[in-house]
Amino acid sequence: MAMPRAGLAAAPAAMPTPAAGMKPRLAPMRVSPDQLIDMKCCIRPLRAAGPNLGTEIVGDRLVVHNYGHGGSGWSLSWGSAEVAVGKALSVLPESIAVVGCGIVGLTSAVVAQRAGLKVTIYARELLPRTRSFRASGSYTPGSRIALVGPAGAQFPELWEQMARFSWKMFRTFLGLPGNPVEFCDSYNVSDKPIERRKWPPNPAIAGSWETAGLPQQNSEFAHLDERIRDIVPQPVDLAPEENPFDTPYAQRSSHMYFNFPAYGHMLLTEFFERGGRYVMRDFHSPAEFAGLPEKVVIHATGYAARDLWQDRTIIPVRGQTGWLVPQPEAHYSLRSNNMSLLSKADGVVVMNNNPDMGDMLGVGDSTELPNRAPIEEALAALAPLFAPLAVRGGRS
Amino acid sequence: MRRGASILAAAALAVIASALSAAPKARGTGAGVYTEAQAGEGARVYAVRCAMCHGPGLAGTVETPGLVGKFMANWAGRPLGDLYDYLGRAMPQPSPGSLTAEDNARLVAFLLKANGVAAGTTALPADSAALRRLVLEPVRPR
Ligand SMILES: Cc1cc2nc3c(=O)[nH]c(=O)nc-3n(C[C@H](O)[C@H](O)[C@H](O)COP(=O)(O)OP(=O)(O)OC[C@H]3O[C@@H](n4cnc5c(N)ncnc54)[C@H](O)[C@@H]3O)c2cc1C
Ligand code: HEC
Repeated sequence: MAMPRAGLAAAPAAMPTPAAGMKPRLAPMRVSPDQLIDMKCCIRPLRAAGPNLGTEIVGDRLVVHNYGHGGSGWSLSWGSAEVAVGKALSVLPESIAVVGCGIVGLTSAVVAQRAGLKVTIYARELLPRTRSFRASGSYTPGSRIALVGPAGAQFPELWEQMARFSWKMFRTFLGLPGNPVEFCDSYNVSDKPIERRKWPPNPAIAGSWETAGLPQQNSEFAHLDERIRDIVPQPVDLAPEENPFDTPYAQRSSHMYFNFPAYGHMLLTEFFERGGRYVMRDFHSPAEFAGLPEKVVIHATGYAARDLWQDRTIIPVRGQTGWLVPQPEAHYSLRSNNMSLLSKADGVVVMNNNPDMGDMLGVGDSTELPNRAPIEEALAALAPLFAPLAVRGGRS
Repeated sequence: MRRGASILAAAALAVIASALSAAPKARGTGAGVYTEAQAGEGARVYAVRCAMCHGPGLAGTVETPGLVGKFMANWAGRPLGDLYDYLGRAMPQPSPGSLTAEDNARLVAFLLKANGVAAGTTALPADSAALRRLVLEPVRPR
């Protein structure tokens, strides 16, 4: 238990807040292949210029796009929906259609309902079977969100607006049953001093997205997170006596993440309780939007827009996660050399992202099939880090 | 594209029709009811007196309403005088009633422009009664 600080009430037992100079007692995670219960693979819909929030007319329907959110679809969902629904509202509809029921479409639908509209969602699949459910699910609004050149000078401000808006909306779900949104401590440990990796342009690489149709190096990606560092907890260096993992170097930050089952249940429940209607439907061309009964359509098909809307500026960026049996007693995340574990309600997420690839990992790869070997590699590499925790025992 | 305009045309007609039944001499804002220069002056007033809350891009925040998008849903179909009067009474929130009539009209012009309403050759009058005879019409968003 933490030492109560003078003048303050003792922290509740469930949330040990170590005083400086004390190692927090963390329950070790059980990190072995026998705990692996699921693997998920998914494609991030990176759009070169950033998400499409433009409008167009199809037949006499006003189509408001809301797709192409890269590795940030969860994180930007509320801010992006606010922009899209604002455009839909401005022509005074009473009812609208939303095409797509991933995190972007479903959030747009609920935002429209909260503005008093009648909403019908048309989609092939509801949220739990979409790509959105195959994300890792943390607040990462700047992940693979755009390329600097095509996004242009206006985009960073729009991004910041959406990121800040979403952050505040996520806070409205903290502490609800099932913890749809949650924070945990996040440790990054290393044998070497930890520095934020920088990616200056490499002059030896001649091509770029403009010439090759795919980004060729990390410096082409927009890196915007600095703009919101005033609200997002930044890593702090841990002194050896504060580092539960006994590695030479360690940092701790606080991390916001989404528990998919509770979050999805909450959003779908709100949608249906507000009278939302779902129609299972597969669209084969944009022209089919003209046949919808609603005059205004929000289009949120994510990566599928590359084909449906023939938007070839969408770049597939493959990624995958492994999932261990849930371990709620180990309420933190651990990262070492870009291999990571994050303990969520529906399991411990395992990732193994080659640190030398940065944003380029998975670019141009639409092979949406999980590969077990890198996940087992991460388990094997991370397991020894828990030895000091096991020696000290779990939490007091 | 010609058919595409019909959703807006229908909305605009409905807006004018309902306003006409209330006030026989109402005109729509589609006719070019403010000037670019007036909106430009409004932008300068906005930057100093409004942007800190409503945002430089008029996007608003979770706490403060944006002045584009949903804004149209809130104000379209009503006499522009309603908006002018509201600004004069209630904004800027920290010092309501402090806008001059001219600055208020400039701000209304700026808000029209920001919401896609086309400019014309005559400026909006700084006169609530005259603005009551103008009806805010919806515009296709970009
Ligand atoms: C490994 C990985 C980790 C990630 N981690 C994070 C993270 O931590 N944080 C974060 O914010 N983001 C993360 N992302 C990104 C995030 O998953 C995406 O940005 C997000 O899922 C996009 O959501 P969407 O609603 O636009 O698309 P989707 O989830 O793909 O939903 C599309 C919807 O459209 C429907 N649809 C598609 N085509 C048609 C059609 N022709 N007719 C009818 N319906 C159709 C689908 O059925 C579905 O309902 C990650 C992605 C990956 C791959
Ligand atoms: C201190 C912050 C603040 C400032 C400065 C401010 N506003 Fe507001 N404004 C608000 C808030 C908050 C509301 C919502 C009012 C309410 O609900 O009572 C609002 C509402 C509005 C609305 C109504 C929005 C709607 O859709 O109904 C308009 C229009 C508006 N403001 C315009 C302005 C203009 C123009 C200025 C500058 C002259 C300005 N505001 C300055 C905070 C501010």
